[in-house]
Amino acid sequence: MAGGAGRGPVGVVPPETVPLEDLETLLGEDTATDRPWLVIVWNDPINLMSYVTYVLQKLFGYSKEKATALMLDVHHKGRAVVSSGTRERAELDVYRLHEHGLWATMEQST
Amino acid sequence: MSSPIRRRRDGRYVIRLDPSARTVLADLARQLPAAITARDPMVTRLFPPAYPGTELAGAEQDYRELVDSALENHHIRAVEVLVATSGADTLSESEFHAWLDAVGSLRLVLGTRLDVHEDMEDPDPDDPRAPEYGLFVFLGELQHLMVEVLAEALPEEGRPEGPL
Repeated sequence: MAGGAGRGPVGVVPPETVPLEDLETLLGEDTATDRPWLVIVWNDPINLMSYVTYVLQKLFGYSKEKATALMLDVHHKGRAVVSSGTRERAELDVYRLHEHGLWATMEQST
Repeated sequence: MSSPIRRRRDGRYVIRLDPSARTVLADLARQLPAAITARDPMVTRLFPPAYPGTELAGAEQDYRELVDSALENHHIRAVEVLVATSGADTLSESEFHAWLDAVGSLRLVLGTRLDVHEDMEDPDPDDPRAPEYGLFVFLGELQHLMVEVLAEALPEEGRPEGPL
C-alpha cells in the first residue's frame, strides 16, 4: 500500500484550488445519484385487476389491502409507484414485472 | 358449482377443461414461440420499455441488451410448458405458474391484435373478430380462476420480509 502519514494521495487537488462552480457540479451529481428510482406500473386495458393485485402481492410481499390499493391507483389514475430504491433494484423490479406481463417503467424521483 | 381449478392437498393443481378448450389453447400457444423469436409486431406488448421516452434512450438500449434474451426465454418456456401439458388433468406447482404466464402472454397478444380497450363492447356474433374475441374472454376467465387459487395461498397481511 502506498502513501505515508501526513501526506495525501498523489494527484488530489487541494480543495482551495477547485473553482466553486466545479464543486457545485460535483455535489449536484452526487445528489442526483442518491435520488431513488421509482418503479411505475401503468394502466393497460388487457391485464385483469385480480391478476395485477396478485402479481404485486407475490413480487413485493405486499398485503392484499396494499396491493389492491396500488392496483386501483393504476386503474383510476393511470399509474402507480409500486416500489423504489437504487437503480439496480428498480431495474430488477421492472424486469420481474415484465416477466409477469405488466407494463412497468422506471424513472428517477425529482 | 365448484371452480374447475383447485389446489390439491398434495400440492398439485387440478384443471378441469373440455378437450376442445385444451386443443384451442395448445393450438394458440404453439404459434407464439416463432412470433416471439421473430419479434412479430403482435408480441410487442411482451417486451415493454423500462425507460420510456427519448431522454434515456441509451439506458433503454442497455436494458434491452441485458434482459431481452432472458425475457424471451422466460416467455417461450412458459408457452412450451403449456403446450406440453395441455392435456394433463393435474399440474405441478411450476407447471401451473408456467400456465399462468403463458395464458397471460396469449391474452396480451390477442388483446393487442384485437385492440382491446376499457369499456369495449363485445363484438356482434357476425363480426369477423368475434371468434378471436371469444378466445380472449375465455383466456381471461381461465386466468382469473387460476389467480383466485394462487391468491388464496398468499398471506393476506403480506410478507414481513418484503420483496423476494
